[in-house]
Amino acid sequence: MSSVAGEQLAGVPVAPGADPTPTTSVPGVPGASGVPLARRRGFPAGVPGARLLTGRLPSLVMIAVLVLLTALALLAPVLVPYDPVQPVGVPYAPVGDPQHLLGTDMIGRDLLSRTLLGMRTSWLLALVVVAVGLVVGGVVGVAAGAFGGVVDSVLMRVTDMFLALPSMLVAVAVAAALGPGLTNTFLAISVVWWPYYARIVRGEVRSLAVRPHVEAARMAGAGQLRVMTRHLVPGVVPTAVITASLDIGAVVLTLASLSFLGLGQPAPAPELGADTSRGMSELLAHWWIPVVPGLAVMLLSLVANLGGDAVRNLMARRG
Amino acid sequence: MLDLEPARPVDRGPTDRPVARLHDLRVSLSRNSRRTEVVRGVDLEIGRGEIVGVVGQSGSGKSVMSLALMGLLPASALPQVSGAVEVDGVDMATAPEAARRRVRRLDLGVVFQDPMTSLNPTMRIGRQVAEAAGSPAEAIRLLRAVGIPQPEQRYGAYPHELSGGLRQRVMIAIAIAGDPALIIADEPTTALDVTVQAQVLRVLAGLRDELGCSILMITHDLGVAAQIADRIAVMYAGEVVEEGPALGVLEAPQHPYTRGLLRARLSLETERGRPLHTGLTDAGALDPDAGTDARAPSGTEPATAVEEAVVERTTVSAPARSEAILRLTEVRCEFAVRDARGRRATLAALRGVTLDVQEGESLALVGESGSGKSTLLRAVAGLETRYTGTIDGPPRSDVQMVFQDAGASLTPWLSTEALLLERLRGRDLSRVERRERVREALDRVGLPETTLAAKPSELSGGQRQRVALARATIVPPRILLCDEPTSALDVSLAANVLNLIHDLRRQMGMTVLFVTHDLAVARIVSDRLAVMYLGRLVETGPVEKVIAEPAHPYTRALVAAVPGARRELPVIVGEPASPMAPPTGCAFHPRCPVMQDECPSTLEGIQLVEIGPRADVEARQHRVACVLRGEF
Repeated sequence: MSSVAGEQLAGVPVAPGADPTPTTSVPGVPGASGVPLARRRGFPAGVPGARLLTGRLPSLVMIAVLVLLTALALLAPVLVPYDPVQPVGVPYAPVGDPQHLLGTDMIGRDLLSRTLLGMRTSWLLALVVVAVGLVVGGVVGVAAGAFGGVVDSVLMRVTDMFLALPSMLVAVAVAAALGPGLTNTFLAISVVWWPYYARIVRGEVRSLAVRPHVEAARMAGAGQLRVMTRHLVPGVVPTAVITASLDIGAVVLTLASLSFLGLGQPAPAPELGADTSRGMSELLAHWWIPVVPGLAVMLLSLVANLGGDAVRNLMARRG
Repeated sequence: MLDLEPARPVDRGPTDRPVARLHDLRVSLSRNSRRTEVVRGVDLEIGRGEIVGVVGQSGSGKSVMSLALMGLLPASALPQVSGAVEVDGVDMATAPEAARRRVRRLDLGVVFQDPMTSLNPTMRIGRQVAEAAGSPAEAIRLLRAVGIPQPEQRYGAYPHELSGGLRQRVMIAIAIAGDPALIIADEPTTALDVTVQAQVLRVLAGLRDELGCSILMITHDLGVAAQIADRIAVMYAGEVVEEGPALGVLEAPQHPYTRGLLRARLSLETERGRPLHTGLTDAGALDPDAGTDARAPSGTEPATAVEEAVVERTTVSAPARSEAILRLTEVRCEFAVRDARGRRATLAALRGVTLDVQEGESLALVGESGSGKSTLLRAVAGLETRYTGTIDGPPRSDVQMVFQDAGASLTPWLSTEALLLERLRGRDLSRVERRERVREALDRVGLPETTLAAKPSELSGGQRQRVALARATIVPPRILLCDEPTSALDVSLAANVLNLIHDLRRQMGMTVLFVTHDLAVARIVSDRLAVMYLGRLVETGPVEKVIAEPAHPYTRALVAAVPGARRELPVIVGEPASPMAPPTGCAFHPRCPVMQDECPSTLEGIQLVEIGPRADVEARQHRVACVLRGEF
């Protein structure tokens, strides 16, 4: 993926007719078709309506949904109809109840309010984890990639160490050691999350560092720091952003899992994973109690992944 | 090996019907929702046993035409084809896919520019040839026919284990499997060294004599086309502007574009004393909007260097007296690498180079790939520090370099202005002064101010190389290093850039070190020539003298390998040995046509010595490293 983005953004324009995309065809070799490999995916050209599905529109829609979701998360405290932690109605009100659109749980708390605030926690925490991972991993990766040699080895071995830790186990350990809570969940996930970015950024920087433009910049008199900030980092940003945006969904899921296991915020704070877990016993009699928060997790993760795809498509197109 | 008689058409049965026929072929391709007509009405017939050379610069539509001929236009570009493209009577645009596939299998063979990307890297080459040939025995026969030594042993090799020349021969072996009627060769020698190019051209010409097949040779190089083609078609902006017998087109070109192309082309006879013709300025008669995207930007390239006044080219400025600005002593450079099979190996890029460069002089380093010429340049630039020996030169800030691929040497996300301003950092200049310096630098290289805000991807190839030059000279350096700055450019743009380098050198009094594999370019840009082979200098001297009277057999082979019409194809065999295992003694001895018994162990034969009488200053500068000292 990274190479695709890199090539695209290197922005080498191919004049039509100058060098047509090299095809895979080898005369006389059966099975080698003339269709350029990179183009095999996607809709066949000429299918009516294909443009609508392959153009920029779906990507823009997905990103709009992503922005909407973030706005919803930020405004959740103002939007919710009821206090999420207090019983506000009869217990077990079903989905579609005129007072409680998504029903109430076993002690009469409004599920819509709880789910909205739970989504807020998950979503914002996921964004923060990814942002922190991006910054920490980015700094480590750029340093390792740009300096190379011993610096690279040391930084990457440390990264490997963190990469070897099973994320869930670390999170359990941190939560067990420091007690459950929002900050500790955040710490636990961040510790295991940044190494991925460090690896990706480092690889990207190393491939950029051997390109002639870096040598040319050195010849032009740019120092190490300047080469790094002006001639390397801007080239890594697209890849890093794409990776990060595809990653938010995974963080959402991990957070929900931790919370499901009781390692998130303590009750009665509204959390999607914990609410699903606590409601599991009601699944047969009152299905909506676990299913509503569970579906919310799914929705978040789905939107995050589709949004990430959209970001990637748009950035690739821009090249 | 093939019987290598001089190329002559072979009668192969009925010649009444051509192998391929293009009639009023028009192809338009869509890119980013914009439709461009890339091929605009081409009429061309390829007779049986005929070699047709299609010559054109990038963007002329020659490659798209060949893809249309194979029926392999990329579907993603939504090609629209009108007119006829027939191979063996089958229309490759409209016939059913099964029929077209049959033609591709039985009648066509293809050789692409880069065999590394068209061969399967995970398959042994023998199997790849056998797949096309039908049996291993036939595959070995084909490999032998295209001149691969010891085909039985090479059968099990992977593509990456072969040299570029051998790979291209494998590609040719696949192409001729099944005895095709037509071989389409798209820039088959562009990626090869000049001596290897000559060998591959011989193989191609030999195929026609041996198999009687026709060849469509697509190339940007008139010399290559002239070397083997019977007939030449010159393409410009999607049209064939001139077509005729090879010699006729070359000696009496009718169309102004062909004339321009011929004049811009560098050969060993190009006049040195005056600015080079930039060719395309003569094509003004053509519709300026005619071009495709690639052509359009070059229209905006100002022909700055074409002043009609004859410019006196600075000759060697009495080098005996003037001070050496750069002194290399016994420079050696070795890298730890892995060989093709992954074993540890040592690559000796430089094996003891001693060289003085005089102030104000222009020196060309010439050699094939692996000769160490680029490593030498990089060591001088300070980009390569893993060398032993000494390099005495001006401080690093006085040395600037222009890279081969200008596009890649400019940071893709920075504008021209940002790139130029970067060079002025740390200088006590006001904002206005900086602006002024940037404008001057742009002016010197003949770029309009509108390019200031442009990123490299928005510039044409020639413009990028100008930006690179502006960047190198905005603060005048004492030494300008040029690493094949024109090898990626079309002839007319290359001529422009060479003129520009010459002008800059004159204005600023720079010393120029120019690396190139092309003797014709070296002859134009330099006063003195240094020929390298496998990490050593084999001959140095005044450029005209070295080319006129090459004293080293390798230099002689290089001179002979420059392609052109009616040129004797060189007899030199083999390819440059690997710098991982350079031959002992004189490294050239395994390929040398005049090898002596002592050559494999000689120590004197690798020292540069003067030839000719002591009294003659010119001749004293001509030095050669050969046991025969030019006496053969």
